[in-house]
Parts: sequence; structure tokens; C-alpha cells
Amino acid sequence: MIEQFGNGLLLGIIISVASVALSLLYGVTRIVNFAHGEIIALGAIMTLFFSNPIDSKILFLDRFAPLGINFSISIVIAILICGIFGGLLEIFLFRPLRKSEVGNIAVLVVTIGLSIFFRHLYLLFATGRVQNFPLELERRQTYLFFDMTPRNFQVLIAGLIVMIFIGLFLSYTKIGKAMRAVRDSNELANVSGINSDNIILFTWIASSMLAGLAGIFQAIINDVRYNMGFLILLLIFAGTVLGGIGTSFGAMVGGLLIGIFVQVSVALPFMEGHTEAKNAVALAIMILILLFRPQGIFGQKERIS
Amino acid sequence: MTIFLTTGSIYLVFILNEEGPLRILFNLLTFAGIYGLAAIGLNVHFGLTGLLNFGHASFMGVGAYVTLLLIPHAAGREGEITDTGLTFFPALVIGIIAAALFGLLLGLPAIRLRGDYLAIVTIAAAEIFRLLVRDLESVTGGVYGIINFSESLQIYKPEFLINFSERFELNSSQMWVGLLSWISIFIVLILLRRLTNSPWGRALRAVREDEDAVRALGKNAIWLKLQSFMLGAGIAGLAGVFLAFNYGSLQTTTFVPLLTFYVWAIMILGGVGSLTGPIFGSIIFWVIISETDRLAQLIFENANGQQLAGVRFILVGLLIMLLMIFRPSGLLGKKEELLLDVKSS
Amino acid sequence: MLKVHNLRKRFGGVKAVDIDNITFEQNQLTSIIGPNGAGKTTFFDLISGFTEGDEGKVFLNEKNITNSQPFSIARQGMVRTFQLTKVFDRMTVIENMMFSGSNTKNDSLFRSLMKLSTQKNNENLIREKAFEIMKDLNIDHMADSYARELSGGQKKLLELGRSIINDPKILLLDEPLAGVNPKLAEEILSIIQKLSDQGITIIMVEHNIEAVMKISERVVVLAEGSVIADGNPEKVRKDPKVIEAYLGSGNE
Repeated sequence: MIEQFGNGLLLGIIISVASVALSLLYGVTRIVNFAHGEIIALGAIMTLFFSNPIDSKILFLDRFAPLGINFSISIVIAILICGIFGGLLEIFLFRPLRKSEVGNIAVLVVTIGLSIFFRHLYLLFATGRVQNFPLELERRQTYLFFDMTPRNFQVLIAGLIVMIFIGLFLSYTKIGKAMRAVRDSNELANVSGINSDNIILFTWIASSMLAGLAGIFQAIINDVRYNMGFLILLLIFAGTVLGGIGTSFGAMVGGLLIGIFVQVSVALPFMEGHTEAKNAVALAIMILILLFRPQGIFGQKERIS
Repeated sequence: MTIFLTTGSIYLVFILNEEGPLRILFNLLTFAGIYGLAAIGLNVHFGLTGLLNFGHASFMGVGAYVTLLLIPHAAGREGEITDTGLTFFPALVIGIIAAALFGLLLGLPAIRLRGDYLAIVTIAAAEIFRLLVRDLESVTGGVYGIINFSESLQIYKPEFLINFSERFELNSSQMWVGLLSWISIFIVLILLRRLTNSPWGRALRAVREDEDAVRALGKNAIWLKLQSFMLGAGIAGLAGVFLAFNYGSLQTTTFVPLLTFYVWAIMILGGVGSLTGPIFGSIIFWVIISETDRLAQLIFENANGQQLAGVRFILVGLLIMLLMIFRPSGLLGKKEELLLDVKSS
Repeated sequence: MLKVHNLRKRFGGVKAVDIDNITFEQNQLTSIIGPNGAGKTTFFDLISGFTEGDEGKVFLNEKNITNSQPFSIARQGMVRTFQLTKVFDRMTVIENMMFSGSNTKNDSLFRSLMKLSTQKNNENLIREKAFEIMKDLNIDHMADSYARELSGGQKKLLELGRSIINDPKILLLDEPLAGVNPKLAEEILSIIQKLSDQGITIIMVEHNIEAVMKISERVVVLAEGSVIADGNPEKVRKDPKVIEAYLGSGNE
């Protein structure tokens, strides 16, 4: 079970970062972004495209070879692209929708359409095959109680640092506070001179960059697939719900917990032979929480029903 | 305009297919019938009652699995062979009821939740269903799925249909399934029309508008929503059974989220809240899908089967988005009753 | 008829409602007034089942309805309206009315499917009653218009009509005159007076002090969740505590 705990932490950090990104976006825009998974995948796929060696066997869009750029630089470029992607989505899609007073339900369905659209665009672009970053295989080592590869451990630490950074950012910087203001009340924020459109744009960019990072983490720890975002989307929802909708801290904690629950559940007796269904455990938890404690662990009692 | 589009798209099938257009057309119409039925069920949820159900595939799945497991079938190539069982129609009725009960089971906790949360819960429930189905291999047949069940339905195949199919080189088994699904659509629509114009339908529309007001006026909004949920689920179950019989085998990969998204696209295209919308939406949708499949084959020569299927979904996603943004009332939806600009309260 | 004991509700750290004892007699016309944020609508929410109190009990005709479901309370004869009108926008005016006039049995799925003739007769009766009420309220000419097309004042009338079609025993009216032009306000006020004359107990939350003083038999003043005055309009008007509450919060 200890071994699974380590795996759980790794899964958890991915979900954590992604949950915070989703939660930030939801808090400020009130949009449940079903296309979140596709922004996650974008980070990984872009990194793949930039960093894979030029002589790699798989071609992108059946004709383009990867670019063979240095891995670290690829990551940075990929994250930036995700940020730009999010910004463009806001400017050209969600802002006009918001201005035309289209209801939340319609926007939700639009994000679902968006997710279907992009996910299969990725399928065309990067093929349906499971691919990996051009990184050397490593052996597992022991850190505290867990065994994991050094690189995965670095990812874990990096993720935790990012989260701390976000927490500090939200609490102490001007923009962070403005984001929280818009989240708590759009009208009040506007009245006190905050340009909510700019804050929303900033949030989209930041959320997308975080999502891209989560995708890169996922790709390092696991692999790159065209539907990698979709696969963990429900787990991300579960993490956000568990931790408390509308609180970033809750999303962080919730994400980690869900990751741990999912992996540890594999070791439970009744799961023997059904390890594939481990996700179902997380989903069941999420449903139960929505029923009995919809505000999650740290959330405030929002109108859920 | 809708009639024009529909006949136009059918005509398109003939133009674009020199070989065997009739075969393609009837294949398409069968799918359109099955998915149209499913979309009608979804319309009861969303169009009539305003419920955001994104797990529709699981209702179809419950209907299919329960029915199939009750009639003679085999679970996979190496699985158990069940020689005896119910005849088709009793099994079908039980399957539909099972789907409705699954709707009740899911609805009891979920229906109190606000719109977007209901969406998440229904997706989660459908995912749990999918995982269960995949895992219970001994029952669901693993890779091969459930097979050898078609006979239960095909023995009722009428003479005239067999003759007709032979004449035009069509698959009579599929024609039978198609015919039955269109007959079902007809019957269900008559019943639904009666219901939507009735006090019950009126009550559901009020719930869609403002639940609090409904409660303040002495009505149990939750129970009303549950009834609608069960009704739509039952209809979906029926569609699921037909889908299984159309394929001749029931794979564990049949009732998945992508199926739900298809049905949503069809419902929106046809016009949310319109009774007959799903029919036209379904036909046009399937023409678009099948013809662009061939278009995709021309453009992407190197792409494998999976990627070509991907093109299909790119279109579905695009369709959903464009419809929601530019024409949320779809083909036949009433502009005054436009559901989709309701803010989730 | 309506008794409230020890009703308390907090939101976060803020005390919203804090009432020891209050009783509303049958057929009284009571107005509840008070500065903004005094807890008037929360009070309505609490007694009509839309919010759960932290403590306290509510009795309707001796029956304990504390924390009952809103629809159950409404069926027992206490119907409320809302500050922001909640008419069914995408249904016609007559549908709005008939929805309310139709009871659960009439609404049933089974009956609607079977198209029983008893249901058809029922519907005709409901339609007749609906038109009677709509005529009294002067909205019968809009019967087939969608509710969203009504003016603000007409929507208030529709909501009122909806709430009386089932002969309620108590009406909780939440700001029935809010945002309505003076002439229409007069009409609504006289309708409320008529309803009271017909025997319905009315409890009204209002900001329009003139209107309140004009028709109320009793005025209850809430400030910061508690009752600070309770009596006939003249007495309350002169109560120094009431004056201070209003001046203090810079209202009205």
C-alpha cells in the first residue's frame, strides 16, 4: 500500500495543479470548462512536438516531423502556447458569449463541443498512439517512504512549489486579490474599480498555463495520449468537489487526496482483479460528497441545489 | 425549411454514392431512427424539464444489457451460453423498466443538484457504468461482447420485409430493427405530444422555468423532475436495445460518453424542446457524418481508421459549438421557448 | 394562526433573524417593515420552508411546520410570493394561472397519458376560475401572451393571481408594490385590501410606508433581525425606536 501511496502522490499532484487551474477559472468566470482536459493535453502535445527528435518515427499531422528542441525550452514554449490559447479562447469565444448574455448552460454545452472538437483534432495531429517525451529511463529510488524515479520526484516537488506560489500570489499580490474580489462578487469588484474583463482574461491565461503544466507533469509521469485530458477530467472534477468548489486551497488538497484515494484503492481487497475500475472509486466519492457535503472540505455553502 | 434540408440531405446521399445508394440510405435511416429515439428521450430531460443529463449513454446501456441478458445469448466466444430465456417483447419491457429504475436510482440523489453539478454527476455515473460493464467480463463478454442474441428479434421479421430487402439487396435484419425503431418513434411521439400538452407537461415546464415558484405554489418539484428523468431514461433504454440489435453484438465499448455527445448534438440540431426535432436532426446529422467520413477518407490518405473516426468527432464538436452559439433553437426549436439562454439558477 | 417561537438564523457571523415570539391572528392584515437588511425576506424564507433556521419553531394552525418542505407548507394553505417576481416567462399567462390552479392529482402523469375525461372537466373548471381571477386583476386580455412580455406591474399581478387561485389561508407577500408605478400600486393595494376582506390572512413585507400605513391593521418593525415595534400603524409610526432605526440606517 505504501507503494501505491507514492503513485497516489504523483497522480495527486497532476490532479492538484489541474484542479487549481479549473477552480480559479470557475471562481472568476462561473464557467465549468469541460474543455479543460484539452488544454492539459495541449501542454503535453506541444512539448512532444517541440522536443521529440527530428528523426522520430511518428509524424505530426502525417507530415511534420517534431522539432527536436531542447526539452526544457520546449516546456516553456508549450506552456506559453497554452496561455495564449486560453487568452484567445476568452477574447474570441467566451467574452462575446458573456457579453451577449448567453446563459451558463449554453456556455457549458459550448465547452463540451470545444472539448470534443479539439480532442479529435489532437488525434489527427498527434495520432492515437501512446507516445513519450524523449527522456531517459530512470530507476526508482527511495524518498522518505516512497519509491519513485528521480524525475517524478522532481515533478512532485515542482508541483508543490507551484502551488505554494499560487497560494502566495492569490493572497498577497494586487492581481491575486483582484481575482478573489471578482470571484466573490463581480458587481462589487467592478464598482471598486477593478476591470473584470482584464481579470477574467488574466485568469484564462493563468489557468491555461497551469493546465498545460499539469499536462506536462502527466506526460512525464505517464505518457502522452490524444485523450489524456479527457481521461483525468472527471478525476479533476472530483478533486475540485472534494476540496471545495471556489477555493484554490481546497482544489489543491482535494486533488492530492483524490490521487491518493484512486491509487490506494487498488490495494484494497475488493478491488482485486478490477484495478481498472479504480477511477470509479474517486467518482463514487465525488457523488457522495455532492450529496452529503456539497461544499466539500473547505468550501463555503454555495447554492448547490 | 427543415423538410427542405432533410429531403435535400437524403438526396445528397444518392448523389454522392453511385454504388448502392439505397443500401447506404437505409443503413443511415436505421441509425437515424435509433439515435432519434434516444434524442427524444434526452429531449424529455432537457427540452421539457431543463435537466442537464450528460450520462444518457448509460440509460441506453442499462436497457440494452438487461434485455439482452434475459433472452438467449452468449457472453463472448468463451463465455457462458445461455440457451433459454424470455422472448423478446417481455424482455424488452423489463429492460425499459430497468432503464427507468436506473433513472430513479441516479435521480434520487442527483436531481436536487444545480444544473452544472447535475451534469458532472451524470457523467460520473455513466463513467462508473462503463467501468463496471468493462470489468464484469463474465457477464458482458469482454472483448467480444454479448453475441448470438439476434434471433430472438429476427424470428418476428415479417415476410414482406424479407422480400423487399431481397429485391433491393438490403440487409433484412437491419431493416427490421430500423422499421421497429421508427415505429417506436411514432408511438412515443404520440404519447409525448399528449403529455406535453397536458397538465403534467405544463407542470414540468413550470419546473423548468422556476422551481422555487413551483414549490411556493404547493407542488413537489423534485418528484416531478424524477418522473421526467425516469420517462426519458426508459425511452433511452428502448433505443439502446435497438442499437444492440442493429450491431448484432453488444460490445463493452458501445455505451460510452461519445454516444451521449452524438445524442446531444442531434437534439440541439433538431431543436431543443421540439417534439419532432430529433427526427430531422438525426437524419441530417447522420447524412453529414457518413458523407464527411468519405470526404475525410479522400483528404487524409494516410490516416488510419481511428483518425478518420476522429474527423467525425471534430465535426460533431464543431456542430455543437456553432449551433449553441449561432442557432441554439436548432431546426425546429421555438425561439420564445429558447432554453439555452436560461442562466443556471 | 401562525406562531413563531425562538426563531434564529445566522449567515456566517451575521445575525439575520432573531425573534423570540410572534403570533399572527387569523384574517389580520399585517405589514412587516424595516430598513434594508433587517431580515424581512429571510423571515419569510424561514416560515415558508425555503431556509432552515438555526433554531426555533414555526406553527401553522397548531401544526408544527418547522423545516417542512416549502411545497408541503403551501399545500397547507400558506402561499408566498417573491421579491423578484417569479412568473414562468416562457409560458403564457393562462398557463401560469392554470398550473397553479391544478392540483397534484390533476397533474398526474397517468391521468395526463390516459387523457381521462375527468381531467378534461377539471381543466375547464380551472380555466374558468383562472379567468375570473384574471378579470378581477385586469390581466385577462393578456391571457395568451407569454409571461415574459408582461410589464413589471402586470407580472406582480400575475404572481398574485397565481397565489390566490387555490384559496390560500395565509398570503405572504414579499414587496408586492416594488418597482410598480403609483397608479398600479393603488390597484394592487385595493386588491390586497379586498383579499383581506374576503378572509385571507395577509402578511406583507413592504418598503412603501404610505401604502403600509393606509391598509394595515398591524405593523411589525424589524431591525437587524429583531422585532423593535409591533402594533397598530399610528402607534408604530410615532415609536422613537422605529424612527431611530430608519434614520440611523439612512433609509426612507
